[in-house]
Amino acid sequence: MESNNQDINSLHLGLADEISPAAAAWRIFKKNRMALAGLIIFIMFFAVAVIGFALTNGDDPVLDPAKVRLSEKLRSPLTPADTDMIKKEDFPVFGIYLLGTDDLGRDIFARMMQGAWVSLTIGFVAVGISIFIGIILGGLAGYYGNVRIRFLPVLSLIVFLVSLIFWASGQNSMALNTFIFSVVLSACSLLYSLMSDKGSGWAKKLDFLFFNTINVDSLVMRFVDVMLCFPSFFLILTVVAILPPSIYNIMIVIGLTSWMGTTRFVRAEFLTLREQDFVSAANAMGIKDISIIFRHMIPNAIAPVLVSATIGIAGAILTEAALSFLGIGVPPPHATWGNILSDGKKFLFDAPWLTYIPGLSILIVVLSFNLFGEGLRDALNPKLRKR
Amino acid sequence: MRNFIECINLNMFFFTIRSFFQKLVTLLFISIISFLVVYLAPGEPSQIDPLNPKFTPDDLVKFRQEFNLDKPLHVQYYLFYKNLFIGELKSWKDNQPVLGKIHERFLNSLWLFIVGTLITWCLSFPVGIGAAIKRGSVFDRTTTFFAYVLISIPSFFFAYIIIIFVVQTFNIPVIGMQTFGMAQAGELYRAMDRIWHLVIPSILGALGGIALLSRYVRAQMLEVIHQDYIRTARAKGLSSDRVYYRHGLRNALLPFVTMFGLILPGLIGGSVIIESIFAWPGMGRMGYEAIIARDYPIIIALNFIAAVLTLIGTFISDLLYMVVDPRIRL
Amino acid sequence: MLIKRVLILLPVLIFFILLQSFFWVPTYDEQARGNPHRLEEYITASIGDAKILNPILNADNASSTIADQVFDGLIDRDEDLRFRGRLAESWYIFEEAYFYLNPKALINGQTITDPENIKLKLLSYKGDSPSLKKTLLNIKNIEIIPPTKGETIVQVPGPDTNEDGFPDPVNVEVSFKAPPRFKVTLKKVDQGFFENIKSILGNGYFKTFPASDYVEVESAGHQDKLSVIAPQVIPAVEHNPVIIFLLRKGVTFHDGHEFDARDVEFTYQSIMDSENLSPRISDYEPVKSLEVMDNHTVKVVYKRLYQPAFGTWAMGMLPEHLLNKDALRMEAEAKGEDPETFSIRDSDFNRSPVGTGPFTFREWKSDQYIVLDRYKDYWEGAPNYKSYTFRIVPDLLTQEMEFYGGAIDSYGVQPHQVERLKNDPAYQNFSGLSFGYTYIGYNMRRDLFKDKKVRRALGMAIDVDKIIKYVMYDQAEKITGPFVKQTDYYDKDIQPLPYDPEGALKLLQEAGWQRNGEGKLEKDGKVLAFTLITNSGNDLRKSILAIAQDAWKKIGIDVKTDIVEWTVFLGKHVNTGDFDALILGWSMGIDPDLYQIWHSSQTNKMQLNFVGFKNNEADDLIIKIRQEYDYDKQVAYCHQLHRIIADEQPYTFLYVGKWTAVLDKKIVLKEVLPSGEEKIKKITPTKTGNYSFHFNKWIKLAENPVFDTE
Repeated sequence: MESNNQDINSLHLGLADEISPAAAAWRIFKKNRMALAGLIIFIMFFAVAVIGFALTNGDDPVLDPAKVRLSEKLRSPLTPADTDMIKKEDFPVFGIYLLGTDDLGRDIFARMMQGAWVSLTIGFVAVGISIFIGIILGGLAGYYGNVRIRFLPVLSLIVFLVSLIFWASGQNSMALNTFIFSVVLSACSLLYSLMSDKGSGWAKKLDFLFFNTINVDSLVMRFVDVMLCFPSFFLILTVVAILPPSIYNIMIVIGLTSWMGTTRFVRAEFLTLREQDFVSAANAMGIKDISIIFRHMIPNAIAPVLVSATIGIAGAILTEAALSFLGIGVPPPHATWGNILSDGKKFLFDAPWLTYIPGLSILIVVLSFNLFGEGLRDALNPKLRKR
Repeated sequence: MRNFIECINLNMFFFTIRSFFQKLVTLLFISIISFLVVYLAPGEPSQIDPLNPKFTPDDLVKFRQEFNLDKPLHVQYYLFYKNLFIGELKSWKDNQPVLGKIHERFLNSLWLFIVGTLITWCLSFPVGIGAAIKRGSVFDRTTTFFAYVLISIPSFFFAYIIIIFVVQTFNIPVIGMQTFGMAQAGELYRAMDRIWHLVIPSILGALGGIALLSRYVRAQMLEVIHQDYIRTARAKGLSSDRVYYRHGLRNALLPFVTMFGLILPGLIGGSVIIESIFAWPGMGRMGYEAIIARDYPIIIALNFIAAVLTLIGTFISDLLYMVVDPRIRL
Repeated sequence: MLIKRVLILLPVLIFFILLQSFFWVPTYDEQARGNPHRLEEYITASIGDAKILNPILNADNASSTIADQVFDGLIDRDEDLRFRGRLAESWYIFEEAYFYLNPKALINGQTITDPENIKLKLLSYKGDSPSLKKTLLNIKNIEIIPPTKGETIVQVPGPDTNEDGFPDPVNVEVSFKAPPRFKVTLKKVDQGFFENIKSILGNGYFKTFPASDYVEVESAGHQDKLSVIAPQVIPAVEHNPVIIFLLRKGVTFHDGHEFDARDVEFTYQSIMDSENLSPRISDYEPVKSLEVMDNHTVKVVYKRLYQPAFGTWAMGMLPEHLLNKDALRMEAEAKGEDPETFSIRDSDFNRSPVGTGPFTFREWKSDQYIVLDRYKDYWEGAPNYKSYTFRIVPDLLTQEMEFYGGAIDSYGVQPHQVERLKNDPAYQNFSGLSFGYTYIGYNMRRDLFKDKKVRRALGMAIDVDKIIKYVMYDQAEKITGPFVKQTDYYDKDIQPLPYDPEGALKLLQEAGWQRNGEGKLEKDGKVLAFTLITNSGNDLRKSILAIAQDAWKKIGIDVKTDIVEWTVFLGKHVNTGDFDALILGWSMGIDPDLYQIWHSSQTNKMQLNFVGFKNNEADDLIIKIRQEYDYDKQVAYCHQLHRIIADEQPYTFLYVGKWTAVLDKKIVLKEVLPSGEEKIKKITPTKTGNYSFHFNKWIKLAENPVFDTE
């Protein structure tokens, strides 16, 4: 165990071994055929999404996913377009419906191409948000976990939050009152911290107001606990349905409800890393905390974050599909694989491709993300590397 | 020896008390968050939509009064939970008491949940253990692959494929809690019919759980069978079955005790889609319909109850963990 | 090893227990065969749950489906969509016409101030005009009402306007001293009564009635409105159609209580009670009074001639004894609520209704099902089905699955499924026309569209068959006018415009539009160009838009198109009349009242005649239709109006959609002949396409039936 950690650490201390850890990881990863296949599909999906974005955007896109041709509805895949019924400029690319058309005669190929990009964006943005929050909170809890917060600042923070809530609910006078109160409280606590340094007498008498209540670590972890108590899908459903329908809301809500896992293992990683020699050394050399965190700790903690991000993207794509199925997913005109699938299910018997194409696509892509993520985990796991 | 037991009991007692209060504080925050998430959202519930022509301004005022919407937020918060606890909170949709509605749906969901959990736990262990013991074998690789497929497939897509397959092949109904129009059939037939209607939704609901749990079992088993004591036992010439199942399994089981407490909240959140597809009148579907109708009392109550269930679950698993592993002091 | 065996056997055992249940579940055929009770249950499904099971309060489809089975109206529509009696065994309609003595009018050069003289003049007239004779023969008696006086409150438009741009009404107190009045009871409603007796009383007798002389405005500041207020307070003439309903005797509610006239009165009062917030309140606004004559006779007097008001009596009747003040107070007290504010809306009745209909309410599980039992003492004979189950299956695809599995008996088919299910031997299918049509409307305020020839030509250029075939999957039919196609009001002899681009071009040339060098139509140096708009979110209309644009471009018209968001579409274009041509659809009632959409008085902002159709002849017919109580005459007027509209082509009428329903083939009609013998018949839709008309005689058989060819 120890030696392995040094493997990684050596990279940062500039004492390179014969093989770099990345190369070692790759060597293991290569052996895992399923993960390798996952990676390949991952890259292909990425390419398709980018190409899809390029081809379906703009005023006159090559592939128009929103073009309605009612006379050409529910055509099966590979049907050529009917030249009599539709105009020349409405023709699909190559004059053929590669993946058929839906109930409005829209080209499924174009929609899938656009959907790939939209689904990928949702996955990346949502996971980006959740990882951002996760690293910040996890880092705080892991690195500054032992810092204790005094009662007064906590109180003023709470009062401030209450005032925000009042403001949001439109009760402005209450909001103002509580806001002033919170300002007074924070002024007090600032004053106290200044006074207590000088150790003046009266400040000591007020000490009971400033007892150390909670440390950063427990504060963050209690918050994680609270968030974990909610059934996540139901919470997402509630918030998405109540907010006005928008693709951004969906990304944000998925992101805001899925950061707890990242927080937990970033914290755990930081806790171990903090005790490592190289961190202690950096500390001793007087390097700033910020620099230690960003230069030394995050790069070391990033491996599991990457793994969970990969799997998180898969989860976000599935969540979006489920939301679309329940009718509160990404609103038109954006096509996502999820809403192509849920729109198509009505036509399961008459136009099965409308269900199977997006359904299997989601399956394959999500599967590849999961396999790739798991392969990554194995490859980055030093314990397995030994064997 | 006696002293030791007393010590444990005392320890457990203190732990229980502390844990209980901790959960109580968490509960307070949960109640606030679940209330605010819904109440601070823009827009009003459809029933008091001012654009609704059937609602005169007077009715609007009356409705707001009736549901305390005209009061300050903290008063609404207080009244909401007070009414919830004394059972007087009513759904905005049909004026039925919220607790009564939830209770009825809870019983329906419970069956699905019990069968689903049973399937999950009974299937995951043999599969996971088998895969671990024969690591790298065809069995291991197939189960691993299928576990990932099950995690990756959109559940509603899979559900439809299964439903269509069953209905078209066997020509029998699968939707709902029972076949309608069997009220006069024999008791046994009806019981079996109900079981049949449980089978497909509960299997579908359990698939994700089976995949995750069997992977976890496999990982745990792998961890354990590479420990020294297992190697020693093997070296001593004990049969492999005996080593794996008696010594290995016992130690691998420990972490699962905590998981047992964590399956409770699956009662609500995990079942929205399956219950909607199968027209199963459970809590998940009620929640979904309440969300669509903006029936705030039901939404908040369900979120709150789900959180309470989770808390109870974690509490139980903490206790269980202490019982099976006295070294743990939380 | 025990643990191993347990670990392997346990899942095997569980799966065995679970999966063996499969063998107990009946398949589609077994459900019908081995289970005689299933055959007596009808199961249907809906996406949404019912909201309130009260015929005067419900406004959603699911609720009214159930309410229709539990409650009966006084009347309903028969196979030909004409009225027939239900709770009312029969009815008759007559009229009470009123007019005031006009002391200043000259009759043959002199004024008559004695009412008796006028009465005598009317009764003793011996002219030879046949129409007048007929009018006079229709008089049953004439009653003279002595002069009256009193005070009342009138609403007039005030100075402030509301958000829709209409003035807010203000209340004005007035006092009046009315001259003697005549109450003429007519045997039959006659909208031409006053018009006809003018030849006796003189042309100006009613027009010159000086209402203002008898009225005084009491509220300050409104004196200037006297000329508006006075005719409201004492109108010179008034038609009061009267309906006498003779109620069926021996009809009982499901709790055994007998249905009588008090229930009808109570139902009416409950609707009019503003406390109950009934959505039906505007339907009953024309009712002047409702009177219980005896236990089984109800008299309804209307404020004015308005034939469509008759149809409102198809609404279900409430049981007075369960919902009257005392009953509600008891319920409120039992529930611990304030009896003062406790209204019918709050009553438990809405979740467990009691009516007189063919099915009694058994159970309602929210979001699951509603079960009804047949009412053995139903006055028309109990239905064949023993129970009626209304399942809530929120997903269309699972509904379809349940239908295939045999656990739902009927399924409303989507257009794209029709082909497949029609050919399935397991089912019988029905299709019919819906009550609505899609059209292209031309703004007749624009110079371009003032010419009938242009409108006709535009219509002729569009191939409606193509739209029906490719856009509607053949699930639509052509329509030529504004009436419901299944009714008699619709004149089937009127031919739709032919698809004839050449002819269209010729018509346009007649109208002065010539092709220019570029092939575009031109008149006086101006190109024939306009914009066709429709609302966004409706893809059918969107594709019609494209087809129409294409068709018109072909004959040289420069058409631009625009798709506008619905609220903007209504607010900026339709309501203000600012558009050239638009694509929209109307959904219609069966009643032939076209006043709102086609009368020239309805062409202002915010009104429905937004194309600005003005035709005196049509106006006249529209008024006559809504005031005519004689069916045959009404039909004749409708045909005339249909012809005018089809000729004028203010709209290009496109199509009316079709619906299709699929039923299990084992469901048949079972009738008991007088001889006691049971006869099985195939379910045939009525002429108007209503297949469930004989629902009470439906039953399911164990095997697919074989019918004797008749």
